[in-house]
Amino acid sequence: VSGPLSEWLRDRLGLDDLQHLADKKQVPIHRHSFWYYWGGMTLFLFGIQVCTGILLLLYYRASSDEAYESVRFIMTQVSFGWLIRSIHSWSANLMIGAAMVHMFSAFLMKAYRRPREVTWLSGMVLLGLSLAFGFSGYLLPWNQLAFFATKVGTDITGAVPVIGPFMLRFLRGGDHITGATLTRFFGFHVAILPAIATMILGVHLYLVQRHGMSVPPGIEDRGTQPPPMKFVPNFLLRDMVGWLAALGALALLAALLPWELGLKADPYVPAPAGIKPEWYFGWMFQTLRMLPSHILGLEGELIGIIGIGLAGGVWLLVPFLDDPRGRGPRGRFWSGLGVVAIIYITLFTLLVYRGGKP
Amino acid sequence: MRAPRLIASTVALLLALSGIALAAPADSLSGKAPPAKNTCLDCHRRAEEARISGPTVHWAQDIHAVRGLGCVACHGGDPTDSDLSAMDPDKGFRGKPERDQIAELCAKCHADAAYMKRFNPRPYVFSMAEFRTSVHCKKISEGDKKVATCTNCHGVHGILPPKDPSSPVFHRNVPLTCSKCHNAEYMKGRKVPTNQFALYRKSVHGIALLDHDDASAPACNDCHGNHGAVPPNTRDITLVCANCHGREGELFMASKVKAAFDKMGMRGCVTCHSNHDVERPTDAMLSTGPGGVCSGCHAPGSAGERGARTIIDGFTHLKASIANADSLLKLAEYRGMETTEAREAWRASQDRLVAVRAAIHSFDTQTVGAVVAEGDEFATKARGAGLSALRDWRNRRIGMGLSLLVILATIGLLIVKIRGIESR
Repeated sequence: VSGPLSEWLRDRLGLDDLQHLADKKQVPIHRHSFWYYWGGMTLFLFGIQVCTGILLLLYYRASSDEAYESVRFIMTQVSFGWLIRSIHSWSANLMIGAAMVHMFSAFLMKAYRRPREVTWLSGMVLLGLSLAFGFSGYLLPWNQLAFFATKVGTDITGAVPVIGPFMLRFLRGGDHITGATLTRFFGFHVAILPAIATMILGVHLYLVQRHGMSVPPGIEDRGTQPPPMKFVPNFLLRDMVGWLAALGALALLAALLPWELGLKADPYVPAPAGIKPEWYFGWMFQTLRMLPSHILGLEGELIGIIGIGLAGGVWLLVPFLDDPRGRGPRGRFWSGLGVVAIIYITLFTLLVYRGGKP
Repeated sequence: MRAPRLIASTVALLLALSGIALAAPADSLSGKAPPAKNTCLDCHRRAEEARISGPTVHWAQDIHAVRGLGCVACHGGDPTDSDLSAMDPDKGFRGKPERDQIAELCAKCHADAAYMKRFNPRPYVFSMAEFRTSVHCKKISEGDKKVATCTNCHGVHGILPPKDPSSPVFHRNVPLTCSKCHNAEYMKGRKVPTNQFALYRKSVHGIALLDHDDASAPACNDCHGNHGAVPPNTRDITLVCANCHGREGELFMASKVKAAFDKMGMRGCVTCHSNHDVERPTDAMLSTGPGGVCSGCHAPGSAGERGARTIIDGFTHLKASIANADSLLKLAEYRGMETTEAREAWRASQDRLVAVRAAIHSFDTQTVGAVVAEGDEFATKARGAGLSALRDWRNRRIGMGLSLLVILATIGLLIVKIRGIESR
């Protein structure tokens, strides 16, 4: 595009630098290149979350008296409100799913090796933030299921040693789940978490741009590689095919399986039978459920929470624990551990939905 | 040594039973303070003859014992004296009261509000005057020995408070307690119906109380009274039923049908619903045909039959509207549509249906018609919301199909574009 306006913009915005960056960015091509699409997919779904979230904000009212009614209003009275809410809910789940695929593929391809340690750390923080988004957003419609799932979730937080009781009161805004909890979760969901996520996402994308895509050790060892693909337009157009497919999946899910609202939260009725958390917390929930009540004289739940916390810590620090080149016995050990983690998480998540009991 | 003492005790007791004085005031019956000793129990417990030791078996659980009252409260005597002289009439010993004196004896304390308040700030105060209105009391006064007095229902020497589930006068136990006398065998030779319990047992009230432990269901005493138990000969049986079925009673009392019933000597509610065997009212009762209660009085073609038909038609129409709205909403819910608001309207229509069932007791087409119209308005709203939800569901599918076509076409164009770029 040329012309006086274009020239003016190029001059003011430094578009030539961006053009240079785009021309320079390349994506390695090998048999695992498919996994490179998942970061972009997560980012796309995050964008959907931001757009639909802003639209929902136009009508949502964050109080225990009005939240449920406002979501019902969105779903029944607002034009395409049902679609926006359903897409927001489904997209949240797809985004966390995509983020997990992205994280596990990065782990197994050892993309966290030098110099990408901080990229890994920022990605892990982003995954944690996504889970926090999911947890805080789940309560906002103020329905029965959300109310009791949040109660169970915060109860577990309360069992964390030392900081647990403080965290419980901090999250709930008191001893119980009330309107104060809803207001607090709303604040987390639409202000605090987006602010932090935007900053960390900026760092993550900057680091991806700075270090480029990582090539797995196995592929590096093969010597000659096929020529890389230009990011713009070749890889970006392929990304867009994936994004459009995700959009189609969201349209299908929203129309065929609209996200239900359920009954309004009532603290005075018994918890609904078979209450379970969102699927992405399922494996942790199932782990805690299957532990015996006491292990070596300590509470089973406490041991479970400490165990999950330690596992998360180890997982976070894997760039510093694995072989720097990702090779040798140490490299194979960590790859094996990754596979075990995937099998464990998949199995325990499925057990939640099969009603698995100790 | 033991046998002569036992004989002496028995003789003394029998002698004492023959002389009763009931002039003692309530305070002297109860004793101002619980007796420190109760020698009556010491001897009676040891007695081999069940007639003498019997009163001690359940005495510890008796509410009077629990409240600190001793044998002396009813029987008099000296509980501190461990010899037979304790039962000396000079010491106020009254022995076993005669049947026709039991109610008076109990009333000494139970009819004294000030005294009863010592045990309960909101006591039940027995009314001897009320008891005298009962058939039981009248028969006792006539010397009938087979008629119930206080002890026949409440028990004796092991009396439990009425709130105790083991008490024979606990709400749930009342029908069985009454049936102990009101049965064919016991009532032999009397002109008293004896099938009440059998009828009540299978009635809606009996099933609710005895099978479902529904404490709100009436037992015998809720209609007949307890201490003033009589056949419910209030001015109108409707007043009895209206104690619980208030709205229906109110409407019926003001209805033209009530006036007609009175003229014809028909017994209000019982005419259509029966009494002891009252069944769960069904909508099938609302019919001018066989099985309905209207045809019993209203001949086909009469003004009454036409009025009944108008009411029945309105009711049937509302039921159909509600069922129709429900099936539409169920389908919409099955298809994942949000119907909370529509369900609220539907529930309001259901409430109006219940109101119509009550309003029918006015036997007034306008009164019933107004509630039917109100219910119909809600049912129509719910039906409209159901249809709208199903329309939305279809539109969403069409929208989904179209957007998928657009997405697929764009994907196709992108693939062509990629191939175009990469073939260069």
